[in-house]
Formats: sequence, C-alpha cells, structure tokens
Amino acid sequence: MTTIPDRLKVSPFFSFYLIQAIQIGVGILGFQRVLTKAVGNDAWMSIILGGIGVHVIIWMMYQILNKQNGDITDVHRVLFGKWIGSGFSILLIIYFCLLTITILRSYIEVVQVWMFPGIRISLFSLVILIIVFYIVNGGLRTVTGMAVLGVVLPAYLLFSLFYPLKYAFFENLLPIFDHSMIDILKSTKDVSLSVLGFETLLFYYPFFKEPKKSQKWAHLGSASTIFIYLLVMIISIAYFSEEQLIRNIWATLTMLKIVQLPFVERIEYVAISSWLFVILPNLCLAMWSASRGAKRVFKKKQRSLLVVLLLLVCAGSCVLKTREQIEMISDFTAEIGFYFIFGYIPFLFLFSSIFYRMKGRKSA
Amino acid sequence: MRSLKKKGSNEKSEKKPEIATIREAFDSLRKSTDFVFYKKEHGKVPYVISYFSSIVDAEVIHQYILPNLLEISDLEELKSKIPIEEIIDVTSPKDLTERLPSGYVYIYFTDSDHHGVLIPAMKNENRSISPPEVEFSVVGPKESFVESLETNIYLIRKRLPIDSLRVEKITIGDLSNTKVAYLYIEDIADEENVNTLKQRLDEIDFDAIGDTAYISQIIADNQRSPFPQILDTERPDRVATALAEGKLAILVDRSPHALIGPTTFNESISTFEDYLLNWYAASFIRIVRIASIAFSILITPIYVATLTYHYELIPKDLLATLITSRRAIPLPPILEALFLELTIELLREAGARLPTKVGQTIGIVGGIVIGTASVEAGLTSNVLLIMVALAALASFTTPTYQFGNTIRLIRFPFLLFAHAWGLIGIVLCFSFLAGHLLQLTSLGRPYLEPFYPTRVRDLKDTIIRLPFSKLSRRPVHNHPEQKKRFSPKDEKVHRDIDE
Repeated sequence: MTTIPDRLKVSPFFSFYLIQAIQIGVGILGFQRVLTKAVGNDAWMSIILGGIGVHVIIWMMYQILNKQNGDITDVHRVLFGKWIGSGFSILLIIYFCLLTITILRSYIEVVQVWMFPGIRISLFSLVILIIVFYIVNGGLRTVTGMAVLGVVLPAYLLFSLFYPLKYAFFENLLPIFDHSMIDILKSTKDVSLSVLGFETLLFYYPFFKEPKKSQKWAHLGSASTIFIYLLVMIISIAYFSEEQLIRNIWATLTMLKIVQLPFVERIEYVAISSWLFVILPNLCLAMWSASRGAKRVFKKKQRSLLVVLLLLVCAGSCVLKTREQIEMISDFTAEIGFYFIFGYIPFLFLFSSIFYRMKGRKSA
Repeated sequence: MRSLKKKGSNEKSEKKPEIATIREAFDSLRKSTDFVFYKKEHGKVPYVISYFSSIVDAEVIHQYILPNLLEISDLEELKSKIPIEEIIDVTSPKDLTERLPSGYVYIYFTDSDHHGVLIPAMKNENRSISPPEVEFSVVGPKESFVESLETNIYLIRKRLPIDSLRVEKITIGDLSNTKVAYLYIEDIADEENVNTLKQRLDEIDFDAIGDTAYISQIIADNQRSPFPQILDTERPDRVATALAEGKLAILVDRSPHALIGPTTFNESISTFEDYLLNWYAASFIRIVRIASIAFSILITPIYVATLTYHYELIPKDLLATLITSRRAIPLPPILEALFLELTIELLREAGARLPTKVGQTIGIVGGIVIGTASVEAGLTSNVLLIMVALAALASFTTPTYQFGNTIRLIRFPFLLFAHAWGLIGIVLCFSFLAGHLLQLTSLGRPYLEPFYPTRVRDLKDTIIRLPFSKLSRRPVHNHPEQKKRFSPKDEKVHRDIDE
C-alpha cells in the first residue's frame, strides 16, 4: 500500500463533485427513450429505484475500501493474491478504457448529428484527448477541479427546464402503476447504465484527506444526480407524448429547442457546446483511474501509461464509424458496467466481509 | 524547471582572476575616466583621495570630508572627526572593488601603503514620491513607490509602524548587485511561505536584475505560463494591507514596483479601490470588471463561431442586420476578425511606444480613420468593428497591467479554435485554459483559490466584497499564523420597531 502525500490529496467534500460529475454525461441527453419503451409513464419510479440501488452500491464500495484503507488494486491483491488480483485489476482498466471510448464517441456522435455532420472524428478526438492528457497530467487535484467546473458551469442549463413547463401536461404521469412491478424493477437496469462511472471511486478513494468522511458527500452527490434525472424524466413525460418519447433518441436536447431568448435562438447548440464541460471530467476521471490502476499493476510511470491508454482510446474512437457500431459498443460497455456494479461489487463486498471476519478470527 | 537557478559553485570559478593586493585593485579602478584620484600635500600629512565622480555626492565631499581632512594626522582621528557613520577600514582588495563603484570615497595617507578608509558618500538622486499612474484611484492615498529601496521601505513602514514587520535584504545579480528586500509580518505570515520565497530568491542566478519584473518572472512557479504568478503593484497602501493579510512583499532597489505573493486569480482582477468604496459599489464594479474581461476574451471568437458555423443561433431580426453589414465583405469571418484585432493591437503598441502627444494622434487616426475607412472599403463589417472596439475597451478594465497583457494574448487561440470548431472550439479552448489555471500555483499556493480548492470563507472577498465587519478572518489562502483580524462582537440584537 502506497501512502499518498498530503499535498496531492483533496478534501472529502469534493467526493460530491467527483461522483456527480461522472454520473451525469452523455446519458442524460437521451436516456428517456429506453425507459419509456420499457415502462412508459412509470419511468420515474424506476429512476428512484435505480437511484436507491446506486446508493447501496456506493455504501458497499465504502465498506470494502474502508477495511482495506487503499484502492481497489490493494483490495484485489489482498483478497485474491498477486496474479489473480492483478488480472481483475487489468479487467477493470480495460473497462474504464471502454467507458472512455463510449463516452467520447457518443458525444462526438451528438456533435455530428446536431452541429457538424462533417467533423473529422480523428482530429477532434485527438484534440479532446490532448486536453484530457493535459488535465490528468496535473494529477487528481486538477481532475477534481475540472469536475467542479463540470458541475458548476453547465448548471445554468437547469434553468432551460422551465421553458417546456409551459407546454407540460402533467396528466401524462397518470395512471401510476400502469406497469407491473417486475417491469419497473427490470428497467432499473437501464437507469443504472446512465449513471455509470462512479466506480472510479474505487481508485481515488485513498486520495481523500479523510476518506471515511467523504462517504456522506458521495451519497449526496449521487442523490443530486438522481434528482436531476428524475426532474428531466418527469418534465419529459409531461412535455412529450409516450409515442414521441419512444421515437426520440435525444429527448432532452429536443426539449431545449423550445427555449426562446431575445438574443439567441437554437439554444441546443449552446447546450451541446457547453456539454463538453460535462464530458471532459468524465473522460479525465475514467482515464485517470485507468492510468492509476495501470501504474499500480505494472509499476511503471503513470504518465507514459496514460499516453499509451489515450492512444488506444483515440484509435478506438476513430475505428467506430457507424451508428450501429456506436450502439454496439455502448451496449457492450453498459452490459459490462451493469454486471460489474450489481454483480461484482456485491460479490466483492461479501467476499471481503467473510475474508476479514476469518482473518480476525485467526488472529484472535 | 527554473533554468536560471544556480547550477553549483564550480561554474563560478570561470570568473575574472582574483585581484591580490589593494594596490592592484586600485590600479584597475583607475582605468575608468570618471575615477577621480588626487594627492593633497597641504594638510598635516599628505593624503590621497579617490572616488567615482559620477556616483558620489560632491556636497558631502566638500562640506564634511575635505575641511576635516586638513587637521588630521592619522586614520583613527579621521574616523572620529568626520561626521559620517559607517566608515570602513580597508582590509582586502575586495572592499575597494565592491564599494568604490557604489559611491564610497577612498582615503589613505601616503605613508600608509594604501591602507585607508572608505566613507559612504553616494549620490541620492531620486524622483519625489508621486501619485500612482498605473493603479490610479479617485479616492484614497496618492502615493506610489519610487526608484529607491529605502524610500519604498519607508512608505510601507510608516503604514505599519510595528516591531514585527520584518525587512530582510539580500543582494542579487553579479553585475547589478541589486539590493532586494522581502517584507512580512512575523506573527502573521506563514513560515512556510517565507521559506519558499527566501529559497527562491537565494537560488536566483542572473547577472543584471533590471526591475521587480525580472524577479517576478524568475521566481514564478511555472515559467511556461502566460499568467503573472506574482502580483505587482505600485501602491504602498496595497502592499501594507496585503502584508496585514499575511502575504509577503518583495521590493527591489531602483524599481518603482513591489511584488506581492502568494497571489490569486481573483487578486489580479481586483483593485485597491475596491476596498475604498462602499461595498455595494465595490462589488458592482467588480462584477462589471469580471464581465468585461470575459467579454473581451470571448466576443470576437463568438462572432467568428456564429458567422462561420452557427448563424441559426442569431434571432431573425438581428440576423438581417448582420447580413446587411457583411453582405459585401469578401473575407471569411476569421480573417476579418484577425485583421481588426491585429489593427487594434497595432494601435495599442504604436500608442505605447510614442510620446504621449503623438500617441494621442495615433489613437484618433487609428480609431476613426482606419476604422471608418475599412468599413467603407468593405473590408470589415461595422458590427464586428463595434465588437472589437468594445472588446478592446473592456480589456482595459483589467486592473493589473501584466494581467491585462495576458488577456490580450489569450484571445488569439480562442479565435483560432472558434474558426476550427465553432462554439465547441471555444469551449475546448476554455477547457484548456481552465486546466492550466487549475494547475497554476503562486509560491506553491493554488492560483484559483478560493474557487478551487473551494474555500467558502475566502469567497467573501471575490466576485463581491462583503463589508469589513464580515471580513473578520484573514484569507485562508495565505495560511496566516493568526487567523483572525479582529474578534467580531456579538451580533447586535435586532430591535423591533419603536423599541
């Protein structure tokens, strides 16, 4: 276990921003379609249920990490030994790289569809990844700063949710419990996919000044994310008809089209541009975690590992060309993410509880 | 990181060969034409007096030294008779070579084989203390620093007449032998900050220090950053209040500026006048200033972005105006904007290089003739002309000159990014800038504080400035040893109407 010098650490209260920044990403621009397909106007209930699930997982992650007082690579090494543990860690690193590719490529797709159909994907990805390198190069403190910016700066977009209210038809929410409980529970899977990424906590946990104190802020951050998703979902249900929601890939962006200001029209252009502030912390955190993990596993310089990983991500982003490919990779990542969060973490939680109980008994 | 640091003592040996004897030193000094050297035979004992005529005060020599010399027969008597303190016995050739060029007078009796004394008689020609020009304020003190270290220290000391104000001096520069003083209040300033500063000053290895600006650039945390990481000011009142907050100040001899560190982004865009006005007015002016800085950086890039890619953003009525103004223009928006921006920079630079009166003419010629003519010739649109002119005006609101230059500079990458990817390009460039500012430090303390790392207590004096009764604590940023400025009295009991 390596100790981290104090000057590199961040205050526990930043876990609020770190959690919220990565949970809100491209997903929120168009998560309504999948949910509406599954449970129609009861989608808001599955968001609440999914949110509760995420909170339980965050609690479990803190339980695992508190016992170890290190990051996930330490946990893996202690629980599974050097070789198998490293294997698990490497899988995690690959997963974070996949996540980065998905986020980056989905954002570029939004840009392609809404603003620049002819944008050069390779060059654009490269410039974004250079910025990611520059920020990650500054260490977790800089990444955290970016997360704060990513939460604070685009917050003005919340005001744009007032405009659709004029045309909202809240009777759309009725009747409640139109769908079976099983359907609602099943659709919570789709919710958890949108908020994917908070498992980066497994890596930056030891970077908090008092890690245990950060837990309440992490929960608060996650709760605020769920609240924002809930707000957007309820307004979407009220604004669109169910049929429209099912057919709309980016419902949130479509909703923005209604905003009218005296000096600017087509506010969704502004929104997509400033959404980069939301995307960047996602990419930075995921890449920071991946490179940090790689450093812990391979015992090499994090900077050079970061360059290697970024090149891989850039190549991955350039390879994906069509809508189907993007859909495929994002479904694939989502699937892995879902099983990682709701399968692997509870398993790890149980395993580590038993492990430490056994160990405690042995030493006693 | 810092290329100008000392690289070890062995490089020092390549300097000129050591002068062994006092006589040799004396002979080498005599090579300058302004070196005065004459023997006097008329006194009790013949003596030799020598000095650099350009740097010594003739009055001191004629009034205090020469009349007394007539009745003196040995060095001890000389020391007691001449009413000048700090008379030094010459013991090594180094004394001569170091002190004579800085304004000492060297006297020895002809029978003593060059064993004599050095009497300080340097000329003290200084500008008198004048009102600040760069950081002028309508209200408040009208004193600014001058080119003398002693006067500058006096200006600060008279504002902080306390025993714990520490002034420490070091000499920097092999050629310029510049005296550099750093000041702090011992009970308040953080010891770590003081040590950082001391170490950085000690490590400076540069031949001639021209001004405080040299020091501020050499000891900057990140020399590759366009942002000034140490604040410079010409107002002693600002320095005194900064010292009281627990900051450190650097004064350099022959420089009419002081440096304040550790500084923050917020401090660079605030003025001392913000504390002299009522807090509502001060906060309002601060908001105007921040908005104008954002405006001056972003408005031309936004123009380029919208007109190159997103004309849909502009409302219908406004679009008509824009299209009319741009209809006949043959250039793409980026070239149009670069042309005008560079013209403005040209005017600024020409105005700054020329004498004041000619400079004004240039301003008028440039502003009216070139502007109107280029619109009439159909090279630029008049909408852009208005925007660029407003942006230039807005950029002049940056209170610190060095920071203003940075703002001028960073507009150009924004323009290029806006041309490449429109609004997304602007956001990309902004992220770059944000990433840079997040990493920047001043004397090891974060530059963006209190925004990041967020320190709620310090936010009281940022975009808005709260009244003094709310500023009871010194900024956490400086890690002051005494955290409170004053203990706020218990909140006044709110009385009901007519009680």
